[in-house]
Amino acid sequence: MNDAVKNVSFDINQGEIIGIIGHTGSGKSTLVQHLNGLLKPTEGTVLFENEDIWKNAKEIRKIRSKIGLVFQYPEYQLFEETVFADIAFGPKNMGLSGEELENCVTETASLIGIKEEYLQKSPFDLSGGEKRRVAIAGVMAMRPKVIVFDEPTAGLDPRGREEVMKIISDYRTATNATVIIISHSMEDMAALADRIIVMNKGELVLFDTPEKVFASAEALREIGLDVPIVTRVFAGLRAMGVAVSPNVFTVSQAVEALVQLKEGAADA
Amino acid sequence: MLKDITFGQYYESNSLLHRTDPRAKIVLMILLIVFIFLAKNLFALLFATACVGCIALISRVPFRLYIKNMKAILPVLIFTAVINLFYGDGGRILLEVWKLRITTGGIYNSVFMALRIVLLIFMSSVLTYTTTPNDLTDAIESLLSPLKFVGLKGAVHTLAMMMTIALRFIPTLIEEAEKIMNAQKARGADLESGGLVDRVKALIPILIPLLISSVRRAYELAEAMECRCYNGGEGKTRMKQMHLSNTDFLVSAAAIIMCAGIIILNILL
Repeated sequence: MNDAVKNVSFDINQGEIIGIIGHTGSGKSTLVQHLNGLLKPTEGTVLFENEDIWKNAKEIRKIRSKIGLVFQYPEYQLFEETVFADIAFGPKNMGLSGEELENCVTETASLIGIKEEYLQKSPFDLSGGEKRRVAIAGVMAMRPKVIVFDEPTAGLDPRGREEVMKIISDYRTATNATVIIISHSMEDMAALADRIIVMNKGELVLFDTPEKVFASAEALREIGLDVPIVTRVFAGLRAMGVAVSPNVFTVSQAVEALVQLKEGAADA
Repeated sequence: MLKDITFGQYYESNSLLHRTDPRAKIVLMILLIVFIFLAKNLFALLFATACVGCIALISRVPFRLYIKNMKAILPVLIFTAVINLFYGDGGRILLEVWKLRITTGGIYNSVFMALRIVLLIFMSSVLTYTTTPNDLTDAIESLLSPLKFVGLKGAVHTLAMMMTIALRFIPTLIEEAEKIMNAQKARGADLESGGLVDRVKALIPILIPLLISSVRRAYELAEAMECRCYNGGEGKTRMKQMHLSNTDFLVSAAAIIMCAGIIILNILL
């Protein structure tokens, strides 16, 4: 039998932001579906707060509210008549009701920047980016301690992407939740992630800080991935003989490095 | 779970029946089914059974696939057999409870009916296993084409196109349904427990997104078809033309012999 995912073993600390990268079909989505018990591992265990999530199979729905999972294109799962009702679906399944439920929804909405008047609108009247935000709010409303995103910015314009990334970091600041993001954007990963998991053909090949992961550009290219564009530009500069650091992964780091270089040149 | 639903269950092979013109196959299948129902006595039906067995062998489709189809209708089969058990008249009385009585005639009836249904399923399975869904719809379009002479000019093509599209999108929709189910489960939806009412209610969060996405897909498909200048069946030519060949005449002859055999056995015995 073919294993979709194998040899995957890692620990994630509370409050960390973890990025998962890998080529299409490398098992990223399968991996994250194990984290909240949508899939049951045929071998091995998934531990959450030192307990096997499958220890009590009947309680798996409780695990799903503690470990939230936002699927790709989550806006396609909207179904309620109003934005409010759709965000309330998750918390309602957890057993919240009445005032508690209402507070939960309005808090989440304000955290994510959904205006009050939007709550009574139909989710199907919203724009693509707004729908995505409402759908993400639907998972965040359960207040998961770990929240997993499968390509949260796929199919959005640059502004939409920025908004979604902001929501994710806002949620983390507000709740100190652990965040796991699958992404194809090396730039986003470099800017956000504390550590990065690199998957290839269903196996975990690297699990390290962005600096160390992006330092092995050759190995990444071999498995169909790449380093951030700025890192490539700086590698080109180094090849031309410009003395810049190889550890430049984000635009702000690049600006800093260039300013330093210019000042250094002026001093000399 | 959802993937177990078989539809368009074509089995790749290169048997005589795979090569037969789909139009011929449809007509012959209907013909044979009618004659199976015309079989009056056990001998005629047993003859038909032998013929259907031969057809299944010629199709080179593994026998377990036929059995799999049989399992799907097992409840219907059992139901029919049991009902017929009490409707037989004549023969010795074997068992009598209250107003119900089981006679040898009843058992004969019940076996007869069950065998008929089994043969029916076998015949339609042969057709779907040896013909791709696209060939099937093309054949239906071709067979219904005389309807355009009675004022249903566009309707035949439209109907065939609708069937083709429906068949094409079944796997897509199954995949979509699975994704949506997972997404709602991740939001704590409970699809597995509760009574009947709870379970039906739990389907709403799945059915509504599925419906919306099929409408969206329909719009996208319509636009894509218009972009390629689709304007219905008028003036449409085919890459694969269907022609009747010697194999088709051979298969037809065999089928007619089978029908004749049933009639002869009906009269003689």
